[in-house]
Amino acid sequence: MDGTLTFSEQLGLKQEMEIPDVLDLVSTSDIPNLVSLASRVIAPLGPISEFAARSPWMGLENQFFDEVARWLKDIRDVDIYPGVSLLRDAMNRGEIDPKLLDKGLQRWLDSQSLQLPRDVAERFCRAALELDDLPSVLLEAPELKNLIGKLSVIDLPIKQQHSLQTLSFRMEQQTGVKLARDLDRHVIKWCKLFLDGSHTAWSLPSREEGFYRAWHRLVQYDPALNHSQHQLLKKCPREAIDALMEALAALEISPCQIQHYLEAHLLSLPGWAGMMLWRSQQTPEEESLLIEYLAVRITLEWALIKPYLPLPEQQSEDQSLHVRLIAAWAHWGDLPLEAWSHLSASQQQAYLTLAVYFDEFLRRRIWLEAWEETYEERLKAMITSKQSISHAETPVLVQVAFCIDTRSEPFRRALEKAGPFETFGVAGFFGLPIETCKLGSSHSHASLPVMLKPQHKIKESASAFAFRQYEQRRQTVISVKHTFQIMKQNVLTSLLLPEVSGPWLSLQMLARSFFPRKAGRTFRKLRHEWLQKPSTELSLDYMDSEVGLPIGFSEEEKVYYVRQALNMMGLTKNFSPLVIICGHGSHSTNNPYAAALDCGACGGASGGFNARVLATLCNSPKVREILGNDGISIPKDTVFVAAEHITTLNELRWLYVPELSEAAQEAFDGIRGVLPKVSEHVNAEQLSRLPSLGFRFKHPKIEVQRFAEDWSEVRPEWGLARNAAFIIGTRQLTKACDLDGRVFLHSYDWQKDDNGSLLSNIIAGPATVAQWINLQYYGSTVAPYYYGSGNKVTQTVTAGVGVMQGNASDLLVGFPWQSVMKSDEEFYHAPLRLLVIIEAPEHYVERLLAHDAAFCQKVQNGWIRLAMIDPKGRWES
Amino acid sequence: MFVTTFFFSLSILALSAVVLLHPRVPLHFVRIHVGVSGLPPLIALLNLVMKSTSRIYGPWHLDPLAWLTAFFVLTIGFVVQRYSVHQLLGDRNYRQYFALLTLTTGSASVAWLSNDLRLLLACWGVTLLGLTWLIRLNRDWQVARTAAVRAGRLFALSWLILLIAITWLSMATGHWQFSLVLTKASLAQLGSWGRTGVSLLLVTAVVIPAAQFPFQRWLLDLVVAPTPISAVMHAGVVNAGGMILTRFAPVFSGDLAQIVLIVLSGFSVLLGTGTILVQVDYKRQLVGSTIAQMGFMLIQCALGAYLAAIIHAVLHGLFKSALFLQAGSAVHHNEQVAPKTTSQLWRMIGGILGLLVGIGFWFIVNGKGYDMISALLLGWSVSFAWSHLVAMGYGRIRRFAGFFVFTGMLIVFGIVLTTFYVLLHGTVPQGGIQPHLSVIILVLFILLIGSVTGAWLSRHPSSTFYAIVYLWLVRFGEPHRDSVESHPEYLQLRSTLGGETRWMEH
Repeated sequence: MDGTLTFSEQLGLKQEMEIPDVLDLVSTSDIPNLVSLASRVIAPLGPISEFAARSPWMGLENQFFDEVARWLKDIRDVDIYPGVSLLRDAMNRGEIDPKLLDKGLQRWLDSQSLQLPRDVAERFCRAALELDDLPSVLLEAPELKNLIGKLSVIDLPIKQQHSLQTLSFRMEQQTGVKLARDLDRHVIKWCKLFLDGSHTAWSLPSREEGFYRAWHRLVQYDPALNHSQHQLLKKCPREAIDALMEALAALEISPCQIQHYLEAHLLSLPGWAGMMLWRSQQTPEEESLLIEYLAVRITLEWALIKPYLPLPEQQSEDQSLHVRLIAAWAHWGDLPLEAWSHLSASQQQAYLTLAVYFDEFLRRRIWLEAWEETYEERLKAMITSKQSISHAETPVLVQVAFCIDTRSEPFRRALEKAGPFETFGVAGFFGLPIETCKLGSSHSHASLPVMLKPQHKIKESASAFAFRQYEQRRQTVISVKHTFQIMKQNVLTSLLLPEVSGPWLSLQMLARSFFPRKAGRTFRKLRHEWLQKPSTELSLDYMDSEVGLPIGFSEEEKVYYVRQALNMMGLTKNFSPLVIICGHGSHSTNNPYAAALDCGACGGASGGFNARVLATLCNSPKVREILGNDGISIPKDTVFVAAEHITTLNELRWLYVPELSEAAQEAFDGIRGVLPKVSEHVNAEQLSRLPSLGFRFKHPKIEVQRFAEDWSEVRPEWGLARNAAFIIGTRQLTKACDLDGRVFLHSYDWQKDDNGSLLSNIIAGPATVAQWINLQYYGSTVAPYYYGSGNKVTQTVTAGVGVMQGNASDLLVGFPWQSVMKSDEEFYHAPLRLLVIIEAPEHYVERLLAHDAAFCQKVQNGWIRLAMIDPKGRWES
Repeated sequence: MFVTTFFFSLSILALSAVVLLHPRVPLHFVRIHVGVSGLPPLIALLNLVMKSTSRIYGPWHLDPLAWLTAFFVLTIGFVVQRYSVHQLLGDRNYRQYFALLTLTTGSASVAWLSNDLRLLLACWGVTLLGLTWLIRLNRDWQVARTAAVRAGRLFALSWLILLIAITWLSMATGHWQFSLVLTKASLAQLGSWGRTGVSLLLVTAVVIPAAQFPFQRWLLDLVVAPTPISAVMHAGVVNAGGMILTRFAPVFSGDLAQIVLIVLSGFSVLLGTGTILVQVDYKRQLVGSTIAQMGFMLIQCALGAYLAAIIHAVLHGLFKSALFLQAGSAVHHNEQVAPKTTSQLWRMIGGILGLLVGIGFWFIVNGKGYDMISALLLGWSVSFAWSHLVAMGYGRIRRFAGFFVFTGMLIVFGIVLTTFYVLLHGTVPQGGIQPHLSVIILVLFILLIGSVTGAWLSRHPSSTFYAIVYLWLVRFGEPHRDSVESHPEYLQLRSTLGGETRWMEH
């Protein structure tokens, strides 16, 4: 199931990438289609203030993981298998079981039809699997060269067919003229000026006309280009599509190569291109933004490369591959160079073939799979041995629904130990497809997984008087910031600004340096006290609005969403007097990645708003009445409240507590009494994982507050790093296990899901969110410079929407180096592909795979791994 | 007594930096080291407040100005090291960062305390070297290396020019001591020709570290430096020019050198401000702002307003380091300013208030020369801040709070200026040469032309002229092509090299 394939199959697939049916001529109407096909190689990238995890390879899941890995290495020199040092570290830490590694090797050898004696092949492969490099003395030995001369007749089983690269990149490789770098530099400049969201005083002129037109108007004056380039660019067509076609024609890209050529360009700066793609999906006016981006980029490439055209033909690969293969045999297979002349041609062929197949990719793939299997084995051992026996029925006092987020797991574990509390796991948006609009804000946030579209808009409102007062206080805070900004932008006032604001800023700086925790909390408190946000109501009842989404829900919708949420949690009977709906958010200071620590299922924001909406709906008598007729009867005494789990501090913050019944009040007091202890326990666990200067913390609470408030802290918490598995099943299954904060937990009881629709909902929604988060972490760890966002310390925020490294760079995607690494030398996140474990009978899983083609494809192609536990406790993967 | 304590605390600090470098010393010694680095600024502050010394003390010249500078530089050093404890945790060069930060800020503070010109040169040289080293500490990153080399070359050039100027000065006067060189009698030996020559050399030596046109390149490329290093650079190194010119004030004559300095700095003020207008990278905006602010500081020096220049240098240093250290907060959140409603009356009050404050200031300080510019800036800023904090916006609370903030600002501004004046009065050369009126008018002309052009351009954003100015300003603020890389590829290198294991031996 995990996508093991024979190599001939894989190599065969390499050729059949989807090539659109293009005839000899491409017409303007084909271009949008080609661009949208090409955009499969990048992922949309939203602003960093609503950081939402996305799999960088979501458009490539129709290909095998291995295939994509090889292709990326070839086209962009990006390696998405873990590096050798990472794998060795994992082995040294005992996270890879050598036996499983060996087993992986045997399995591969079994799947091959070798022309060699098994023991010879095995010896060679075992030695190669040590992951050592070939010694350079050997590679440069003159005898080796002589030998190659005699052997060169042998055909190797793979053709060295290269992926299409951009001309500027090829040019840079062949001649050393740094054209690709220059092109990137120009494109970065234009993109950041166009996408600016930070309200610089002077914005890019004519940017309201669109990217291409603004660029076209300005580029003829750009002092960074020379006169002939100005002339050339001035004559470009006025429409982006025409310009793109013209540039492609001028660069002599044949019609059938266009898509691949565009892909190569998109992969040059996947971040900026991703932001253009994201914007193009937001409003219909900017629909063609990605086309415009490519038009600008390829037209600029043409202008830069024109003096150097035509490029010399690409030289075919020399004999270095043969050299490596024979050296590999000499080094790992104890086959001295002299021995080759005694071999028959077919034997030579067999030796070389094995060395070709057992290449670096395959070796690291076997390691990665062994690492994943080791984790699975241990998880399986823990879960199957520690099946908790259901306790004698002590009545449950409180039921708490948490987000599936891996950070909920330690908290749930501690909470359940602390008393008669029952917990559930469900996606943190609680199934509510809503757009939220905070009090006084004109901006609405789509508070749901990024792959879904909001259906309703929920607004916060307060009484007119309170609102006006609040709004004035809020505006004061904004206007002080704003005045500082515009005084900075004025020639005269800026010169006096240090004298005016310097004393205040230095006070703040000193306070934050001497007392990071207290200062941060004081500033937060001051702000809070000043704003005095009034208590607010939510617009839950249906109202038609002229523009945008309808506000609120109709009665049927309310019932529908509540029923769905309760079903997803598996909470349809035995309600306790108090039910807490718990979203989660984080606290960090001076952190551009703050949103990355919030709820991923709520589009990179706190899930508190959604929790409040659901709890309020659940308390509605009308809703309860209709649900009661439906078989879900909620006792009168039961009250729903909403809370927010602050993951940095491991506290619960109450967001919505209506009037409580007597029983509920008792339960509420009960849980409030144990929460400090729970927090302390979870904090201690959290602190033991975070790197520190080697002190034992006496007061975990104070220390986590320091992490949250310190403006110099680069790791306020670990977020979802080290996530590895997603368990869909009852809590009974995992209750006795310490899952180390590595597992997403979704409640699921197959007995309540006859037709499998709950399961398929979980897979399509929450599991996909988890998979994206997992792959984003994976990418940020294995290719921190390309799929991660590099070092936090040298980042600069650009255009208010993202970060760049150093002077300028691609708009960075993924997580920073510090979020996946403990230190420069030690990794924290283990790059494992997500293991989905379903607790259900076999035919449930079969039905799921048959119905959900997308999920089936992910599993088969190695983008996710699947295991199941059937009711008898049998584990199958 | 305090003087000895100060140098003692500095030696302890140096010692602890060396101890920290040793790989056997546990990493949490960093906390002790940072604690120690808080001592010297504290003692410098005591010295400054007690006015215990204003005399020559061995090779040291310990007047309040020297103590103020030492206090300021060491405070920045302390704050930045405190910041680095968590910010750089996990970096492979962790220990080296602290050692070099100590070296850079420590030697800078000593430089401004020295009476011996050779000592000053040596310490300033070490500071520049330390800074260059800090930037290239991340050796794997090619872009950082290139930028460090380019900055290092310019630093060396600046230092050599300073060396020539100082050698010339001491050859002519026969002394290496500030206190002896800068007497009237000694300077007479230099001759007017020599004075102009030395002044010109000094001007060249200071415009380079202050990143003034045409030497702005190094600062623009050093956005690659880690955030805390940038904070030190923008707070403690770029403003050295102000100190040097203040110290050498008696040599500096109001002629050619003055005009050269004013023209270069004036141009830099405009270009720097222009960079803030068009650039969208947060750190690059800060660089533009530094260029403009340093230009203004040098103009103040050129006009003989040394006290104002020192105040500006110090407050700008604190201001800029705070802004750098909070660079992570620059992500734009959707907070919109409510549509502005403003009545003519409120605006007029602002205008009148500005005028009154400007004129009032002029009378309080007994205005002459440079104060004209101060009064203009002050009056303008007052009416500007008034119109944005108080006049615009709706509601009583909003106006009242705005008014409160506005008055608070004004009062603190007054207090801070008075404090500086009291502290430094008498030690900073004041009004040595009153600048010629035409020079003042030149400065005013540059500033006003800049403002007017800016205002005109922002009203005509569709004109070709706007497009051209816009693109030139963008180009001015962009990094050099060698110091840009699309992805930080050095991180790839790190993940492919690693330790050995033998999994077969099971």
